[in-house]
Amino acid sequence: MDSAAASAIPRGQVDLVDFVDWSGVECLNQSTSHSLTNALKQGYRDDVGLHLESDADEQLLIYIPFTQVIKLHSVVIKGPEEEGPKTVKLFTNKEHMGFSNVSDFPSSDSIALSPDNLKGKPVNLKYVKFQNVRSLTIFIEDNQGGNDVSKVQKIVLYGTTVDTTNMKDLKKIEEH
Amino acid sequence: MVLEATMICIDNSEWMRNGDYSPTRLQAQVDAVNLICGAKTQSNPENTVGILTMAGKGVRVLVAPTSDLGKILACMHGLELGGEMNMTSGIQVAQLALKHRQNKKQQQRIIVFTGGPVKYDKKVLVAIGRKLKKNSVALDIVNFGEADNAKPEKLEAFRAAVNNNDSSHIVHVPPGPNALSDVLISTPIFTGDGDGGSGFAAAAAAASGMSGFDFGVDPNVDPELALALRISMEEERARQEAAAKKDAEDAAKQEKEGEQASSSRDVTMADPASGSAHQVSEKKNELMDDETALLQQALAMSMDDTRSSGLAMGDANMSDTTSDGQELAFALQMPVQENAKDSSNQSEMNRVLGDQSYVSSILNSLPGVDPNDPSVKELLASLERDSEQKNKEDKPDDSGDN
Repeated sequence: MDSAAASAIPRGQVDLVDFVDWSGVECLNQSTSHSLTNALKQGYRDDVGLHLESDADEQLLIYIPFTQVIKLHSVVIKGPEEEGPKTVKLFTNKEHMGFSNVSDFPSSDSIALSPDNLKGKPVNLKYVKFQNVRSLTIFIEDNQGGNDVSKVQKIVLYGTTVDTTNMKDLKKIEEH
Repeated sequence: MVLEATMICIDNSEWMRNGDYSPTRLQAQVDAVNLICGAKTQSNPENTVGILTMAGKGVRVLVAPTSDLGKILACMHGLELGGEMNMTSGIQVAQLALKHRQNKKQQQRIIVFTGGPVKYDKKVLVAIGRKLKKNSVALDIVNFGEADNAKPEKLEAFRAAVNNNDSSHIVHVPPGPNALSDVLISTPIFTGDGDGGSGFAAAAAAASGMSGFDFGVDPNVDPELALALRISMEEERARQEAAAKKDAEDAAKQEKEGEQASSSRDVTMADPASGSAHQVSEKKNELMDDETALLQQALAMSMDDTRSSGLAMGDANMSDTTSDGQELAFALQMPVQENAKDSSNQSEMNRVLGDQSYVSSILNSLPGVDPNDPSVKELLASLERDSEQKNKEDKPDDSGDN
């Protein structure tokens, strides 16, 4: 995929930022001046000056509930080369996780981000595991450079909503 | 009105038997905890509070976070003292208890009472602090009891590690006549970061005998009672201040004798322009020196010291709030009282000073002052001269005003 395609929305998917339930969004260990909205919200996430930063150490735990059930197809996580995330684990439908129970159950998917991904290349997930997602927990375990602080420029989630899925769309996804 | 779940860690180690906070340190803690629980539940009915003890056989959770105040108060009966405080385990258990709170929307807070010595390294504490910050748990530390050199700074470092956006606080309570709970009432631990708890704090303050907002009585509802309370409070404050000043002056009295004559005039002139007496920060330093000088004069006078020459007669007009002789003496000893009005005071003073009989009656009532003492007579004479001078000064002022 060239870089132009990297920023294009995968076929049949929508940007799920419209379905995020902002009242329940939480992020543990974020620095107060660099919060999750900088990476997630429309407008903020495209602003190069605004990013999400971790506080006490390099791990981040992001909890994103959705207003309706969705299927998650892929994610884009952009960040700087050194402090951008490396190992990212995704958990579905687990409310209020803490750093102590990230290892209690297996993640729905675990991705290792490459520098390409950090530039904007989407990571395709194990789609079967993300069929019925009410809430998503993103656990950023460490960063590329092994620094004390992790920085995330942008997080974009691509997928479809369950309600609006119709047969036509399903077909398109299967072709993908 | 922050929705919060709080775990309070009580120190019930052997050090809590000590009586330097009355009646015992443990009892002082329990009272403070009761007040805190009340404040938290009142500021938001959905707040929950839990209690655990850190010493004794081991860390023990007495009650899990609940909003039922009765349960919380009941569980603190029959607390046993013993052992050493295990702060790290206590905080970890508190964190666990908060993690499993029923309402996940509540913010997490731990309040630790550290009465005994803190045997942990600063590093260990800072590491724990960062873990708390990572899990967005706020921490309040009440440092009282044992005070060794490193303890306050260790705890400060601990608080700094946890602190996120000023949500964590530390309070150092030295031993003294004030109860632990009274000292805590005015701290952010109680007032909950500014909002919410202040109403409860005021009520609690009124209940404990101190005057808080509106003296605990709404002036609209009962103006006479509010007024009576305010006046009696001012009288009490005047009494206490005078007693405190008397103690403070005994040492330095000797050196100040010489400056008295000039300084008395300065002070009486400056009286109308200044505000209340003991808020030293509000006065200029010069004035403070004059005040102390003045007080020393008065003290010297009352002690029948022949070397004194000036007396703050300007204070005579300040005695309007008091009536009996003792009160008068104290009021005279104070340089300035609150509510000094401007020009009206000045002319009042002149009238008072000029009234020889009034002055001598005041002198008579001063304990230890003999009106036939030559120095006193000298003083009266000088005051008459003063009042004449002031009259002369007043006249040009008046003509200037016209």
